[in-house]
Amino acid sequence: MTRHLPRRLPATAVAFLVCGLLFAFATIRSPDFASASHMRQLLVFASFVGFAALGQTLVILSGGLDLSVPWVMALGGIQLSIWNGDGMSSALGVVLLVLIGGALGTVSGLGVTALRIPPIVMTIGMGGLVLGYLMRVGLGSSTAASAPAAAERLVNDTILGLPLIAYVWLAFALAAAWLLRRTAFGRALYATGANETVARLAGSRVAAVRVAAYAASGAASAFAGILLSGYVGQTYLNMGAPYLFSSIAAVAVGGASVLGGSGSYWGTVAGACTLTVLAALLPTFNLDAAWLNIVYGLVILLAVGINRVAARAANG
Amino acid sequence: MSALAASVRDAGFVLKRLPRGEWGTPLLLATLIVVDVSIQPALLDVTQIGLLIQTALVAVLLATAQTLAVLARGVDLSVGSVLVVTDVLTATKLGGLEGDRLALLPLVLAVGAAIGLLNGALIAYGGLEPFVATLATWAIFDGVALLVLPTDGGAPPQQLTNLAIGETAGIPNSYIGLALVLLAWFALRRSPLGVRVLAVGSDAERAFLNGIDVRRTKLIVYTLGGFVAGIAGVYLAASTSTGVPTAGDGLLLPSLAAVVIGGTSLAGGRGGVGLSVMGVFVLVFIGDLVAALQLPSWVATVASAAMLLIVVSLRSLPQVLARKETA
Amino acid sequence: MSGEPHTTQAQPVLDRPSPFAAGDGDGLRVAGLDKSYGPIAVLAGVELHARPGEIHAVLGENGAGKSTLMKVLSGVIHADAGDVSLDGAPLALGSPDAARGHGIRTVFQELSLVPDLSVAENLLLEALPTRPPGLIGRRRLLRDAAALLERTGIAGLDPRRRVRELSLATRQQLELAKALRTPPRVLILDEATSALGPAESEWALAHARAQARAGAVVIMISHRIAEVRGHADRLTILRSGRSVATGRPGDFDDDGLIEAMLGRRVERLYPQRCPAGERVVLRARGLHVPGGFGPEDLELRAGEILGVGGLEGQGQRALMLALAGAVPWHGQLELDGRPLHHRSPRAAIAHGIVLVPEDRQAEGLLLNHSIRSNIALSSVARLRGRLGAIDRGREAEATAREARGVGLDAARLGEPARNLSGGNQQKVVLARALMTEPKVLLLYDCTRGIDVGSKADIMAALAELTARGVAVVHYSSDAAELVHLCHRVLVARGGRIAGVLERDQLAEDELLHLAVGTRGGREETAA
Repeated sequence: MTRHLPRRLPATAVAFLVCGLLFAFATIRSPDFASASHMRQLLVFASFVGFAALGQTLVILSGGLDLSVPWVMALGGIQLSIWNGDGMSSALGVVLLVLIGGALGTVSGLGVTALRIPPIVMTIGMGGLVLGYLMRVGLGSSTAASAPAAAERLVNDTILGLPLIAYVWLAFALAAAWLLRRTAFGRALYATGANETVARLAGSRVAAVRVAAYAASGAASAFAGILLSGYVGQTYLNMGAPYLFSSIAAVAVGGASVLGGSGSYWGTVAGACTLTVLAALLPTFNLDAAWLNIVYGLVILLAVGINRVAARAANG
Repeated sequence: MSALAASVRDAGFVLKRLPRGEWGTPLLLATLIVVDVSIQPALLDVTQIGLLIQTALVAVLLATAQTLAVLARGVDLSVGSVLVVTDVLTATKLGGLEGDRLALLPLVLAVGAAIGLLNGALIAYGGLEPFVATLATWAIFDGVALLVLPTDGGAPPQQLTNLAIGETAGIPNSYIGLALVLLAWFALRRSPLGVRVLAVGSDAERAFLNGIDVRRTKLIVYTLGGFVAGIAGVYLAASTSTGVPTAGDGLLLPSLAAVVIGGTSLAGGRGGVGLSVMGVFVLVFIGDLVAALQLPSWVATVASAAMLLIVVSLRSLPQVLARKETA
Repeated sequence: MSGEPHTTQAQPVLDRPSPFAAGDGDGLRVAGLDKSYGPIAVLAGVELHARPGEIHAVLGENGAGKSTLMKVLSGVIHADAGDVSLDGAPLALGSPDAARGHGIRTVFQELSLVPDLSVAENLLLEALPTRPPGLIGRRRLLRDAAALLERTGIAGLDPRRRVRELSLATRQQLELAKALRTPPRVLILDEATSALGPAESEWALAHARAQARAGAVVIMISHRIAEVRGHADRLTILRSGRSVATGRPGDFDDDGLIEAMLGRRVERLYPQRCPAGERVVLRARGLHVPGGFGPEDLELRAGEILGVGGLEGQGQRALMLALAGAVPWHGQLELDGRPLHHRSPRAAIAHGIVLVPEDRQAEGLLLNHSIRSNIALSSVARLRGRLGAIDRGREAEATAREARGVGLDAARLGEPARNLSGGNQQKVVLARALMTEPKVLLLYDCTRGIDVGSKADIMAALAELTARGVAVVHYSSDAAELVHLCHRVLVARGGRIAGVLERDQLAEDELLHLAVGTRGGREETAA
């Protein structure tokens, strides 16, 4: 079988393996862990991380980072609930918000490519603008505005025992994998993240793929926020906060290089699952939710460290 | 010549050295001050200004920590989390129900430095990129802070609060705090260590050729940054008389914005804390103006973020236009 | 602000005696020095003996190992094997600090000045004067810096200025002044006059002579043969990492020098040259890269291999990058008679001009990606099948074909590019360029540092290419290659074309003479 891109399959497989091991371990400690309803719940949680990390994967592959994810997520949930309250149809609202998220991401991408603003600065700035807007929209701590019905159905309804959202996620994962592995866009994205100079001199569309990556991140984050609001049933300013670390950690655990140029979305999927299981493990140890942050940080360090060691060993 | 006089002369030296392009920020700050004072004449009062500086001091300290990292061609995403760790420690361990244990203050400050040391070790000796290392420690220590103090509360020692918001010889202590920060910076800038930091940030390879221990310099930079961010946390707890474990996340953007607006180069090697302090006050006066005009607080948030993006774009523009390479 | 500094005419006088014994030590001895990067041996048993009180020149072509040798002596890189001793005592050169501790001072070719520090800070970086609280004594710093500038004869330079603002020439002078802050035992000058005009060059060399007279060992690398003749007492010639000749400048005439530098190699690996076509494929008028090259005119004919020669850094890079669309350029370009305004490599490739870049590892290859995807990188758009996806079958077939065309093993295409030898890596980059079916192929020193076998494969591919009418622009640091492979060669010097040699005029010594300016050619306006 021909192999085109860096051998990330082992990393993805390892990530799934680790996820499985953790799951088994959790089940031993607490048999309910493997109950059907719990697993459904875990899958739903993982899909939130998965969508938040979808764009983040593309951005990181291109050699950047998106720190505006939590705010665009919050925008998705909050704005949709406001529009629902004003009578707009959910479907229209979702489409609009995904487009708006994409537009915001495009602005970030343009800043990074055309103005050569460092991604961290650009996306933190954009995040601040979105935050300011959300503050203006004026929430207090939470609105109990009803979450969009569609979102609720996505996370609650099931087909063949799996929540709808899992199928949606799968579809996106397949699409992302196809995009990355089978299209010119994907090649250009990997090339740009691996070595921008090489990509440019070889004629890759460096600017276009970068902007597209950030645009995708904005759109995916908005969508993730809508999903999240559907599940939680309410929206609040900080609803996206945990997803900054978890989206980046998922990408790292999946074996991608945080510097760009190698990785895959399947790896991120594995990372999202692993992190979700880890998060669910904490209560079984009577560990506070605060440990989740600590776990994210440690996982990032571990994943990056292992990546470096593996890379050095491979290049001997 | 006394250190104070030397520093004053240095301040003049710094101002004179500002290349033409750098007059933007001082001008912006001056404009904001003029506008704000004309709207609120009552501001022109030692105590009022002292209060302003008091609210600014936390941002000044974080911007200082961030400036150090940026000067060495890095970034410190964890400044906010170092702050909350020392903040909650101050609120719970130094004070609290068991009475005041001020003697532990050095330990709390040491925690800040230790986190900085961890960052520095990961970056300088572990070879991690600054954004990765400090992103991870950001997450970790945000969590640690929440473990120490899950919700707002705690009681920082009264003596610290008195120190933070009190006066000495008729001058609010916040002036002294600000002056100390600037003095410390000018001292660093004028020390061999300061020159080494700038050299490492400007061109690490050439710094190495000149016998500079690049790794050790970076280690020191991040350790110092952690120490300063730690002071910010203690100060915040003292001046607000409470501990807030979630205060950190919203402070990262202002710390970066202050550095960018002030004019320190994100590529390292150029700039300084003096500039970043100006950047902090630009943001502070924007906030004060917003409050004075009775505009909702979101205006200040948007203005800060917008200012960051606009300034960084403007600074990038000359290089982009004179670009050496095409698309 | 003051204008550019100038040097004073007075002969530099050492105002303090050298602490080192004058002239009776053994000097600097290098024996058996080896240094390899992977399979490529940059230094292979270098021998050198530079005596105190003498200026010892080191000559050699690009890539002969001169700079690597200097870096080893300066403690910047570690040799794999060999000994270095000074006055009989072995030297441990583990770091730049260690080298400086032995009294070795180097004027680096790429300069060791930190751009964002001031002149004063740079000059005194190793010895910043401090006062009690541990702060730098600013007044003393400026005074000492000014004194150093005065002592070394650089006038009109404000020590507070940032180095970044200074011209390259001024920086080179500062680099020398820095090296002379304390009297050196060994002074190494690596192309220390490359950016200097005649007066400043004399100034620099006068300093070298003064140090030698004071008993130091002075080693200089220079391409300016006139300089070497005028100032060096002895010289050593490096070729392919070995010392091949040593003696007094008077022992060699110009031809002899160049003959030693180039060597007498049996060159049978160059394929037959077919006559070039008549049709002009690429025409440039007033081609100008601001700050880099031109304005110049040139023409490229179908089936022709146009060589580009000259010493490094004479504008060839700007020229090649401009043709490739990678840097902004002015002037007029015509491809097949139609005007060309390409502003990006992507546009250039779309029109049929493709570049094989200078540094195959940093600019040419995605090292962790497979060979196959590297080869396909520039052509992915044309490999699309259904639904816009890349047709893997076509990709595999096309890349295999290109790989075979340059002599790569088609079975290994799935491996990461990092695994290949330098020669094979170069072939990958070439294959990628060829896959775009170009009309004009730009090669930037593509045979540098690769094995003979790979060179032969590449040249065979070029021969086949030109037979089909593709035009090639071939910049090479290997004069023999230019002579035997190209139809014509233009020699760059100082960002302009110093001369163009037609086929019947092509000879290695002619090329080198044009490159260094020791014979005729178009006059340069400033040295």
